Amino acid sequence: MKEIHIDAKCLQCPGPIVQLFNAIKSAEPGDVVVVEATDKGFYSDVQAWCKKTKNELLSLEDKGDVIVAKVKKV
Amino acid sequence: MKKKVLIIGGVAAGTKTAAKAVREYPDVEVKVITEEEYVSYAGCGLPYYIGNVIKEKSHLTVMNPEKFKERKVEILLKHKAERIIPSEKRVIVKDLATGETKDFFYDKLVIATGAKPIVPPIPGADLKNVFKLRSIDDAVGIREQVEKHGVKKATVVGGGFIGLEVAENLTQQGVKVTLVELLDQILPNFDREIALLAQSYLEKKGITIFTGEKAVAIEGTDGKVTALVTDKRKIDTELVLLSIGVLPNTELAKEAGIELGVKGAIKVNEHMETNIPDIFAVGDCAENINLITNSPAWYPMGSTSNKMGRVAALNLFPKGEKDSLKGVLGTTVVKLFEMNAARTGLSERDAKALGYDYITVLVPANDRAHYYPGHKTIVTKLIVDKKTHRVLGGQVIGEGVVDKPIDIMATLITLKGTVEDLAKIDLAYAPPFSMALSSTIVAANVAVNKLTGRVEGISPISLKEKLGSPDLQIIDVRTEAEFLTGAIPGAKNIPLNELEKRAGEINRDKETILICKVGLRAYLAYRTLKHLGFENIKILDGGVTAWPFELE
Repeated sequence: MKEIHIDAKCLQCPGPIVQLFNAIKSAEPGDVVVVEATDKGFYSDVQAWCKKTKNELLSLEDKGDVIVAKVKKV
Repeated sequence: MKKKVLIIGGVAAGTKTAAKAVREYPDVEVKVITEEEYVSYAGCGLPYYIGNVIKEKSHLTVMNPEKFKERKVEILLKHKAERIIPSEKRVIVKDLATGETKDFFYDKLVIATGAKPIVPPIPGADLKNVFKLRSIDDAVGIREQVEKHGVKKATVVGGGFIGLEVAENLTQQGVKVTLVELLDQILPNFDREIALLAQSYLEKKGITIFTGEKAVAIEGTDGKVTALVTDKRKIDTELVLLSIGVLPNTELAKEAGIELGVKGAIKVNEHMETNIPDIFAVGDCAENINLITNSPAWYPMGSTSNKMGRVAALNLFPKGEKDSLKGVLGTTVVKLFEMNAARTGLSERDAKALGYDYITVLVPANDRAHYYPGHKTIVTKLIVDKKTHRVLGGQVIGEGVVDKPIDIMATLITLKGTVEDLAKIDLAYAPPFSMALSSTIVAANVAVNKLTGRVEGISPISLKEKLGSPDLQIIDVRTEAEFLTGAIPGAKNIPLNELEKRAGEINRDKETILICKVGLRAYLAYRTLKHLGFENIKILDGGVTAWPFELE
């Protein structure tokens, strides 16, 4: 099990969710992907996305300028 | 003998007239009479006093009678004007402190009697803890209930600015707020899709909102409110705020034979003169002209009141050409938690009712460069006249900066600019302030694309009405990852980069709606499909970002 870090800050459309999607695709079950994003929409997007794809959202933090999400591949 | 100026009313417009009059005419006696206990107070600041954002009552008053006295304006508090007799240039005034009746004579009279809250004729409106919000005392009363008597549940009737601002401020104070609005949307001066975006934001902040619902009674025990009853439910509550709107306070003027206009506001010309010589009217009690339609309208706004006061003062004893206020646009802005909304000019509803042939655009964009920390999304709506390309109105909503774009639009509309003018204005740019092409310019460019037939769009409201129709197909051209974050019901996902090779999956005979996050990729998809010979296609204005309904 490894932790994969993604810097998705300052991305325009389509944004950080695509980076997360690709990272999860190539990860092994149990791996954790940590995404840092500045796109405010990512906060709700990542919740909806995890619910739909059944990946586990371990934590989600809005630090003001940066949103950090930890997602475990199931 | 000194010339006499008498002003009835001492909030914004009355005191502005007085302040400007003494600067202009040092030899004239200026008196202000008001039935209230305070003068020159910040009516628009009252919701923020309730929320303890403005801590002290004293901070709500801009000026007091002592300060006015230093400037040679005499203010008489608790003096109620009971009758105006124009033929004698006399006003009969009752001193509410002593009960004594006095005569005041004038050379020029300025009526600034403001507006009064509409109290709905429902049983229980006189119970304790049922409030309206117009005066400082109203605000003090509400805050006391929260801070000293521990009110935890409140109900606001009316989803206009005051109602929403109080709902926000009470929520910030830990009160659970329910809001009831008679119309089918909050923010009645905004178009529905913008109002719905505001509503879903406020609901996320914990406010319960019922629209299309009528308050029919207020119930109480021991004289104190316990519930608000609507035509659909009963809401337990410890406090009710009635903020269903205001009407001009013009009984006094009417009895004196002064002509009234729209909504019973005093009819004035661009010089603030009424139909009776030497009588002026300013502020919320007086009518305005809508700059776009040139017809009378009524926009009770503090900003307009101050302009009217200045104009009236300059025209009391004019030196040369009279000063004018040609009209207003109904420009307003509101902050609700971290979200801002602003509007100017005609709404789409107005434009439709007036018979304009128009187009609209709905464009999400960033308020600052996307790589600059702290940038926020805002959604811009423009309403543009098809024939002249003149911008008729604009609305902006979002967590970012909205006042700058709306002020740009208000300036353009005032100067009768076209949407092409708007697209080319040389606006200030650096990443902390704007995008290289500002959100307003991007919206103007989309409007130009629509006007020139490069793209055809559909508004979220129109699409919502058509959802489920067998003649409709919705193609979402975002990536699969984005599609999974939530899509419009019934949408099929064909990512933009697969569109050409999968075009066979799209039925040419159906009306096709293309969707992406903000509209750009849908526009690219539109161009691609047009090139492939598709005819009946449209893009969803504003994409998923500005879709005000549920996603699935």
